[in-house]
Amino acid sequence: MSHEAVLQALEPMPLVEGEVTPASLDDQVLAFPERKPPRAWFIAFAVTSAIFLVGVALIGYSFYRGVGVWGNNSPVFWGFPIVNFVFWVGIGHAGTLISAILFIFRKRWRNAIARFAEAMTLFALACAAIFPLIHVGRPWFAYWLFPYPNERALWVNFRSPLLWDVFAVSTYFSVSLLFWYLGMVPDLASMRERTRSKFRRFFYTVFSLGWRGSSRNWRHFEKAYLLLAGLATGLVLSVHSVVSFDFAVSVVPGWHMTIFPPYFVTGAIFAGFAMVVLVLAPVRRIMNLTNLITMHHLEVMNKVILAMACLMGYSYFMEGFTAWYSQNIFIHHIFARYVTGPYGWAGILTLTCNVLIPQLLWVRRFRRSIPVMIFVSVAVTVGMWFERFVIFLVSLHQDFLPSSWGFYKPTLVDYGILLGSFGLFFTLVLLFARMLPVIATTEVKVDLPGSQPVHQHPGDHHD
Amino acid sequence: MTEKPVAVLALYPSAQALLDAVPRVRERGLGRLEAYTPFPVHGLDEALGLKRSPLGAMVFGMGILGAFLALVFQWWTSAVDYPVRIGGKALFSWQAFVPIMFEVMVLLAAFTAGLGMLFLLNRLPWFGHPILHTRAIAAITRDRFALAIEADGGELDVEAAREALAAAGGEAVEVVHAYTAPEGKRTVFPWREVAGVLVACIVAGVVTFYGIRLFPVLPPMGHMEVQNKAVAFRGMRSPVAGTVARGHLPLPVADVGEADAVLVNPLPRTPETLARGRLRYEQSCELCHGPLGQGKTALSEAYQAQPANLQSATIRDYGDGRLFYVVSYGFSNMPGYAVDLSVDDRWAAVHYVRALQRSQNAREEDLP
Repeated sequence: MSHEAVLQALEPMPLVEGEVTPASLDDQVLAFPERKPPRAWFIAFAVTSAIFLVGVALIGYSFYRGVGVWGNNSPVFWGFPIVNFVFWVGIGHAGTLISAILFIFRKRWRNAIARFAEAMTLFALACAAIFPLIHVGRPWFAYWLFPYPNERALWVNFRSPLLWDVFAVSTYFSVSLLFWYLGMVPDLASMRERTRSKFRRFFYTVFSLGWRGSSRNWRHFEKAYLLLAGLATGLVLSVHSVVSFDFAVSVVPGWHMTIFPPYFVTGAIFAGFAMVVLVLAPVRRIMNLTNLITMHHLEVMNKVILAMACLMGYSYFMEGFTAWYSQNIFIHHIFARYVTGPYGWAGILTLTCNVLIPQLLWVRRFRRSIPVMIFVSVAVTVGMWFERFVIFLVSLHQDFLPSSWGFYKPTLVDYGILLGSFGLFFTLVLLFARMLPVIATTEVKVDLPGSQPVHQHPGDHHD
Repeated sequence: MTEKPVAVLALYPSAQALLDAVPRVRERGLGRLEAYTPFPVHGLDEALGLKRSPLGAMVFGMGILGAFLALVFQWWTSAVDYPVRIGGKALFSWQAFVPIMFEVMVLLAAFTAGLGMLFLLNRLPWFGHPILHTRAIAAITRDRFALAIEADGGELDVEAAREALAAAGGEAVEVVHAYTAPEGKRTVFPWREVAGVLVACIVAGVVTFYGIRLFPVLPPMGHMEVQNKAVAFRGMRSPVAGTVARGHLPLPVADVGEADAVLVNPLPRTPETLARGRLRYEQSCELCHGPLGQGKTALSEAYQAQPANLQSATIRDYGDGRLFYVVSYGFSNMPGYAVDLSVDDRWAAVHYVRALQRSQNAREEDLP
């Protein structure tokens, strides 16, 4: 590579394409709620909400008939619900990673995609919450999971990873919601001032809390945002670690491994980024945001996906090595089952989708090609779902005693509820895209060319 | 407009223009300076002479408090109030409490950072703030930068302020008055609409609640309680047809009325039998019937249940066979205990119930 090429590669990438001013940004992004959605939006909404309703109906059927209509049975009591739960919680991780960790590292390209990714975190967690709730069979008693003084004089068992999970996921949801809302307050204030509809003005007035952009308010706001980003960074790493404790703390062969927490966090970020690319690639085109969410953004995200794919490959390898090195016949047996036997196809599919297919992204042309990145993201989403399927179900279906072995087969109801959760996710994404600022305009304005003072006064700090 | 002006405000086209204007206006010392910007501007805090936000210390304190409270709470519930030994671990096994300490720490710290910033430090929501009712606010939330000289309790020299802002390059100078709500409306915050939504929610909730009660579209969910109904001599799986499980011979009695005539307590009344009966009574019966069999426990109060008073004259007059029958098959709300207690355990418990009855109705010859 020549000297010039190196220098060119080191140039900071432009965050926006073409001329974007604060005013044009507002007119472009904040105008969506003011316009009537195109017909395609209504069609998409009808389809996704119909899929969601199928899921709702099947959940209702499960309650009416009992959870026996699912494939869960001895010895695999944790069937689809746990797979789907971990899958959706994982999807949620990209949002917090983008909004918090990349903020701490001052990766300014995150600003354009942070809002959408954070919203996807919340929607993914809403989907994830369905599954443990329906899996307990009597979701109207779900509040028993929380320690509250009760007439039974009982307390929950704080030594159980399942309880840690309750705390981790509910904290994660609360903090993500707060973070998302906090960043949106100044944007809502902008929308409050520009809307002409009386109803929307009421809505934005209430939720923007009378934000007026005073410098004394900004001073606290920026500090709060930074602190929240720091807290969310610890949280995002802890949540999937705690989810992995559900498995790693048990003594089931294939689960009882120290690599589980980092391995789960990597997988979560991997799956989450794939989902963000999968949603943003079409959204930026349909909503005409290509000048704000540029090809550079997508390329950087694809690089993250590639790095995570390599880490996943390393994790799989390390997991296999640990299993072999254990000299334990039960662990050897389970690991052989991952890629052979009746579920072997799922293990092979996982490795193909998560490690092999993302290697396409080494090629710059593929990183910048919409069809290829959508193909890779779909592959990663499928692969990460099957990864959880393999880890959870294969370990359970054959344990220490061959007499208690069994075979797990999901039923149509299982598939329907999984499909319904996708319907819920995309329904919420569609609503979000039309009702709220899809891009954090305030954060993008901060870094637009020429928006900050060039020369500062003595005693000022420099960024 | 009879009220006193509270501020004079001017708009600047760029962050640079605003930052250049601040020291020029500030040196005039006309009042408290405040800038209103669409996004945070670097260097503005220093130019205005604002102190650092105290939020960091608040968040740190609340984070520590959260972790500490979580630890104390887990210790109290696990080791003091409800000590149950699980997995052979110490009652206060603090290592297992760390994940929840971390989560509660983050939760408290994050809520302090977010809500503390909005509600405590920034005093939001503040729908009646004068700036929100200026002509400039639409531009401020879009792409203009405003500098305001505010009265700060004292008198505001409007003309001097106007001149100072304009001299520093300000446009669209505006005098801001305290906000007064338009006729018929007290504040800008739509209280009436919010109250309307609340009332609608309450009405909808009441209508739904009584609607479901009056018109039970959903039948009572009896089918979901099947697992709770103990069917005597049957666990979750039916026994193989034509077989009898060991220790589960059916009683040779068809009806509770015949029980006394047919069933005779086969166990001798020895201290060992009574000890065994006492153990089984404490494990299976005492929760509802109470330590003395009087049918009054904390549990029965909490659930409005009425377990039988074993000390009543009626039950004292029952024969052993009848008591045994009821223990085996249940009676009224009481489930049968044939699955949990073996035949001998049940007979031993009957002996113990007799001893309990005697203890509360002792005769003179019982006294030593």
